[in-house]
Amino acid sequence: MSIQNVASAPPSAEAEKVSGWRRIWQQDAPGYLFLLPWFIGFFGLTLGPMISSLYLSFNHFDLLTAPRWAGLDNYVRMFTNDPKFSASMRVTLFFVVFSVPLKLAFALGVALLLNRGMKGLTVYRSLFYLPSLLGASVAIAILWRQIFAGDGLVNKFLSIFGIVGPSWISNPNYSLWTLIVLSIWQFGSPMIIFLAGLRQIPQDMYEAASLDGASKWRQFWKITLPLLTPVVFFNAIIQTIEAFKSFTPAFIISGGTGNPINSTLFYTLYLYQEAFGFFRMGYASALAWVLLALVAFFTAFSFLTSKYWVHYDD
Amino acid sequence: MTDAPMKLTVVGVETPKLRKQLISVVSHALLIGASILMLYPLLWMLAASFRPENEIFTSTSLLPSEWSIDAYFRGWNGLRTSFSVFFTNSFIISILSVIGNVFACSLAAFAFSRLEFRGRKLWFALMLMTLMLPYQVTLIPQYVLFRQLGWVDTFLPLVVPKFLAADAFFIFLMVQFFRGIPKELDEAAMMDGAGPWRIYWKIMLPLSTPVLATAAIFTFIWTWDDFFGPLIYLNKMSDYTVMLGLRTFTDSTGTSDYGGLFAMSVLSIVPIFLFFLIFQRLLIEGIATTGMKR
Repeated sequence: MSIQNVASAPPSAEAEKVSGWRRIWQQDAPGYLFLLPWFIGFFGLTLGPMISSLYLSFNHFDLLTAPRWAGLDNYVRMFTNDPKFSASMRVTLFFVVFSVPLKLAFALGVALLLNRGMKGLTVYRSLFYLPSLLGASVAIAILWRQIFAGDGLVNKFLSIFGIVGPSWISNPNYSLWTLIVLSIWQFGSPMIIFLAGLRQIPQDMYEAASLDGASKWRQFWKITLPLLTPVVFFNAIIQTIEAFKSFTPAFIISGGTGNPINSTLFYTLYLYQEAFGFFRMGYASALAWVLLALVAFFTAFSFLTSKYWVHYDD
Repeated sequence: MTDAPMKLTVVGVETPKLRKQLISVVSHALLIGASILMLYPLLWMLAASFRPENEIFTSTSLLPSEWSIDAYFRGWNGLRTSFSVFFTNSFIISILSVIGNVFACSLAAFAFSRLEFRGRKLWFALMLMTLMLPYQVTLIPQYVLFRQLGWVDTFLPLVVPKFLAADAFFIFLMVQFFRGIPKELDEAAMMDGAGPWRIYWKIMLPLSTPVLATAAIFTFIWTWDDFFGPLIYLNKMSDYTVMLGLRTFTDSTGTSDYGGLFAMSVLSIVPIFLFFLIFQRLLIEGIATTGMKR
């Protein structure tokens, strides 16, 4: 994502003559005027709020009375004396660690299958993409709640084989898995990105490898996967950040509680409860900054390790 | 498919053509199976919404024994406020968001991709960084701000940020597209004395309809689907969006009217589905070229 270089015009004698202010008006003002809405948004809705939420994270704040300085209290409580925090952290990390790799594996597998010059590629691609487009909707979460309910669709099918399934969503051993399945179900959009990446791989590399007698399996590990690592990297980052931010399905499926026994208490859901259920806005701000630190750490870690496994041809 | 077992016997012979055909049959079978498995829940919900109430939880088939649209009437008026209100609200918020996003993001993208000014690289880098920012970090101060402005229980907190290009993703999308438009066009226009605004309005926007449409469609879908924003800012039922209406439905009726709930769920995704049907090529290309989250 480099910034395009625009060759700037060499300073002519005429440009030298115009005064500083005039130059600013002619050269810089249009850019800043066009960016004006974005600037208002950036300072008023992003940077300013970031700074004040950092400040609030060191305060007790209930929205109605002025913030009271709390020092490190919020952070100390979070890491030493808050079982719900550790529960939500465990749930979220579990969700990220299982849903993202599985979703990407499905996306890559189907993309590889489709990339063999299959007839009807566009039809399949659209069908597989549809769940991605609908997946974040409340309607789908409601549907999911029904599918995995005690008398739901999954158990109907199991009963055909004489199996009595549990109520998946109200059993703490399985409830989080229903959300992971929901996430995998939406593998369509990373699949499309993989497909676009696969098309970039020059066909003659495979032809050369075939002539050398390399099997399909070997071609995949030696050509396809290495050349696709930039796309894998990109998809992994996007999907992980999305997984950390996921909120609606857990909210709808658990009725906003994160139950049973906090097994679907996503971090974002806990933050919402603290902020808008108990009005502990200072504590919620501290939670938000820990989330930011987590996402930033993950992203930095990925970028730093990327040079060891992401293949860039230059 | 019927002669597949016969072909199996010749795999060992390695007849390349037959082998290729076999692989193709197996691949199609896999893909068709996967498509059915994936779409089955959606089709089942559609079928359930047309079923007589007593049949919903007993049947796994995709065809109701008798078709009935009762559930749609029950669901539409199933809450104190009718779904006409929720749909109107959702449309208002989504359409205003589309206008705001397309306008504000294209202005910013034009500045980043076409105008020379000091600090451009710095601002561009900051803009890219906001892409990765979890919204929770700005959530509470934004809420406090909008509350002080008296905007809670109005659509403003949901719409005004769109007019301030808060969704940096679309700026990035448009910058990518604008860079592909030949610079000679701007330069020629500049020779003719056109200023930046004219170039933006008369050259860039008309040449960018594909990306503007992509941004508009995704903005509409994401705003339509948004649950968190309305959940926080809208408390009066007369202001509810469709998603909030659905959520209330699940709370208030409990397990009593599943037919109505499914019927409204189906209706809530109809607009998204229509966009998908009409613009799927544009949507898929948009994802393929820029990599979107959904």
